[in-house]
Amino acid sequence: MALYAFLSRALPRSYREAYLAASLTDLEDMLREADRFQGQSVVGTALRACFDLIWRIPGEWWASYRPVAALDGHGSYDRSPGRGERVMNVIRELRQAMRALLKRPGFSIVAVLTLALGIGANVAIFSIVNGILLRPLAYEDSDRIVEYRHHAPGLNLPDLMNSEGVIAFYSEHADFYEATAVYDRGSGNLAGGDEAARVQTAGASPELFSVLRVQPFMGRPFNEEDAGPESARVAILSFNTWKARFGSDPTILGRMLELDGEAIEVIGVMPSGFAFPDAEVELYTALYVNPDGPFGSFGMQTVSRLASGVSVESAQTRSTELLTRIPESFPDLQSSFLEAAAFAVSVETLRDRLVVDIEATLWIILGTVAFVLLIACANVANLFLVRAESRQKEMAVRAAMGAGRRSVAASFLSESLLLGVAGGMVGIVLASGGVRLLLSVGDLPRSSEVSVDTSSLLLAALLSVVAGLAFGAIPMTRYAGSRFAGILRDGSRGNTGGRERHRARNLLVAAQLALGLVLLVGSGLMLRSFAHLRALDLGIEPDGVLTMGLNLNQGADPEAAARYFQDAADRVAALPGVAMVGITTNLPLASGGSNGGSFYIQSKPRAEDALPPVAMFRAVGPSYFASLGIPVLDGRDVERRDWEEARPVVWVNKEFETTYLDGDAIGEHIKWSGADGDEDGWAEVVGVVGDVREFGLKDEDLRPNAYLPLRVTEAANIEIESAFLTIKAASGVEPTSLLAGARAAVRELDAQVPITATRTMEEIVAEAMESTSITMTILGVATAMALFLGAIGLAGVISYVVGQRTREIGVRVALGARSTDVSGMVMRQSMVVTGAGAVLGLVGALGLTRLMEAVLFEVSATDPATFVIAPVVLVSVSLLATWLPARRAARVNPMEALRAE
Amino acid sequence: MVDKARGSRAKPTLKEAWFHILLALADDAQHGYAIRASVQDRTDGAVKLYPATLYGSIRAMTDLGLIEPLEGTDDPDDDQRRRYYRLTQSGREALRAEVTRLQGLLDHARASAAFGGA
Repeated sequence: MALYAFLSRALPRSYREAYLAASLTDLEDMLREADRFQGQSVVGTALRACFDLIWRIPGEWWASYRPVAALDGHGSYDRSPGRGERVMNVIRELRQAMRALLKRPGFSIVAVLTLALGIGANVAIFSIVNGILLRPLAYEDSDRIVEYRHHAPGLNLPDLMNSEGVIAFYSEHADFYEATAVYDRGSGNLAGGDEAARVQTAGASPELFSVLRVQPFMGRPFNEEDAGPESARVAILSFNTWKARFGSDPTILGRMLELDGEAIEVIGVMPSGFAFPDAEVELYTALYVNPDGPFGSFGMQTVSRLASGVSVESAQTRSTELLTRIPESFPDLQSSFLEAAAFAVSVETLRDRLVVDIEATLWIILGTVAFVLLIACANVANLFLVRAESRQKEMAVRAAMGAGRRSVAASFLSESLLLGVAGGMVGIVLASGGVRLLLSVGDLPRSSEVSVDTSSLLLAALLSVVAGLAFGAIPMTRYAGSRFAGILRDGSRGNTGGRERHRARNLLVAAQLALGLVLLVGSGLMLRSFAHLRALDLGIEPDGVLTMGLNLNQGADPEAAARYFQDAADRVAALPGVAMVGITTNLPLASGGSNGGSFYIQSKPRAEDALPPVAMFRAVGPSYFASLGIPVLDGRDVERRDWEEARPVVWVNKEFETTYLDGDAIGEHIKWSGADGDEDGWAEVVGVVGDVREFGLKDEDLRPNAYLPLRVTEAANIEIESAFLTIKAASGVEPTSLLAGARAAVRELDAQVPITATRTMEEIVAEAMESTSITMTILGVATAMALFLGAIGLAGVISYVVGQRTREIGVRVALGARSTDVSGMVMRQSMVVTGAGAVLGLVGALGLTRLMEAVLFEVSATDPATFVIAPVVLVSVSLLATWLPARRAARVNPMEALRAE
Repeated sequence: MVDKARGSRAKPTLKEAWFHILLALADDAQHGYAIRASVQDRTDGAVKLYPATLYGSIRAMTDLGLIEPLEGTDDPDDDQRRRYYRLTQSGREALRAEVTRLQGLLDHARASAAFGGA
């Protein structure tokens, strides 16, 4: 009933006003009747009523626009001929096609669902590709917004971003940028709204508004005074935050809030949909950039707008040229140092930077679902061919009675178009569900800009019509010809079905199997990649570990902070079910700031001009290594007294030891700041721990790493305002079950400190593998669909052929053929088709999987194992699909088969 | 095929649904639901007028002046289902013409070889 009422909305208003209420009560009565009398299905009646409604819709619209035909005096009701008549003819043809399709609901439902899957998958993925990759960013002239950043591969620092010094240098010398804005991401404790909350923040220099060419929805943008070193703090809210946290308060401007305990004045609200650098940001603060800042402290992100007439390429060239002049502005720097560091700059559009991680994956997925659609079309075309053959006589009769080629063609085409359009409509429904599902599963950039919009709907319409025409045209070319006379004469005689008649279907099935094999190889490669990822030694044991982020306000006293984190860890460790609790400033694999830089080694004074050694570092508390299962290979573990007494000690990983300390680190002294000659500030290496993939899953993500106690962090510039507890559950205890207790324990210590991310270590690891697993899942689903459709197509063709050849088989059996001969014959035929498909598919796969290289992990795009196993799977599936019809053939009773003759 | 054949004639045949509706209204005025019920009875359930077909046909036939709503019965604005329809003069003629046409066809069929005639 609900569906019927919904569908009714497509009717013209005049009709609805006059008859809808009556229709609905009538339908209710009909359903009740159907229920009362046995042998009538309620669902069937309801569905039929819905179909009845759908095919009346065009007519009613036509009627609502058409002027009422005039009656002549004799009571006849001629319609005026001409264009209207022709339209009516088309509608009549379509209705007739609809009736024909409804007579074979099985065929129609299978065809519509198959097409809906194919079209739906394509529309869903296209919507995502369109929103993320194709549509320009939502800023004016967004292709002129670029990001420049620097690299120093010679220092093992492939991605340095920018520093205050560099930014000042560019703003002085680089006239090819119209403006450059600096921004950073962070989070803070916000009070003064509905309730105190941890919010995502972004600091932005005032230029942001001219670079992106946006203005606040209300209030004013940041200006130079806001971004001074001693300025009063001001904030601009995101539209959603203004709406959700402040109830769209129109008097919000001038309101004082509290961010991290400091007063901050709201001066503006950004427009709806503004999501820079991402949609999570709730509050923008003015960012101070020191024009006299140092060259060396990299890590700042910028966004620039190209000056008019400057292309991205020329900006790249001119930036590279500018690099040679850096030593002029920074006398401390030597050009030989920059050379040795291989210091370089790259300029990319903001759009490219945003989608860099996901681009390859999305194109591959789009290609995959396009394959699925092709397979779906091939399948429906096959069904259509089979059906067309069974309708040969009808067609011949129509032709004999004067229906021309065009009329026969029209009837095929109107059926296939109807199927295509119905498939498209169901597909759109599937697509909007699919898009929502994919966005909720995957963490995609620009996801707020993705929707099933007009262009997606246009694509769906186009696919429906093209698909409809494509598979409608195939039987048409075969049966709209002039061979009807022959068919009429001997259509049902005992012929054995000439080979030629099956060629089209065999070709279609072979093509389907070939496409299926390409997908099979693709998902095989993804599966192998994923297996490699899973087998990868991360250097940690993530199971049974819950992590919990704690955030103190900015500028907390380092010692008080260390004490607070230690107290929190101790309280949580005392809870039942907790084995131990470690502390760290950075979790492995979890994105977020990491610290790194050059350092000094006491035993190896730096030579003039030599490259300094570079390592990443972080602070950790006692039990950290043990809680994550990181082995201490040499020396001792971290102790509580290390930070309490501020001992000058340090731990390094194996990679660090081999790279910089000749394989023997214990007893060496290193430091991060000061100078070589100073006696102060050296820390002794007291332990070597196992390598951990802190930054990612790839080999190059394994880097020299140092671990400092919680208090010696000032020297290394580690911010100690925030830290994570690594809570290891006792064996047999589910880590998430500790969450409530741990929260309560931390709250009890200080209710003011917000707890941020609470995730299990396993979730963090899974997230790091996410893009691989999403690609794999989608490829896997697509492959399963492809194989399934391919198998159905094969089974359908083989059973049809067996059916056609029943008499021939009967003759053979009567002449002494054994049942194994018969099934062998059928099998052979299927294997010829499969073999052809497999060969085609392998060739295609060799060509196409190369495109996947970017998303594979330690697997070659021509991985031999995959290329052997995939065809084996394909052949097994087609054997299975042939087996049933072959068995039927083997059981043919010769007497029955011949009697039909 | 049927469509093709009739396209050449001056006077189109009636749609099946229309014929049944005219037939149902031949004796006296009926409302929508009763039309459906009587058609179903008359054909032993073979012809079911689903709501969209029924009211779509009523709409089209009213537009063409074959039938007309009966004003003043009960309260027509209150419930569409209680609105009665009756044949107009042209509706009656159309029904008669169709019956004549069908009769002619039947005569031809009975006279043909298949029924052992001629």
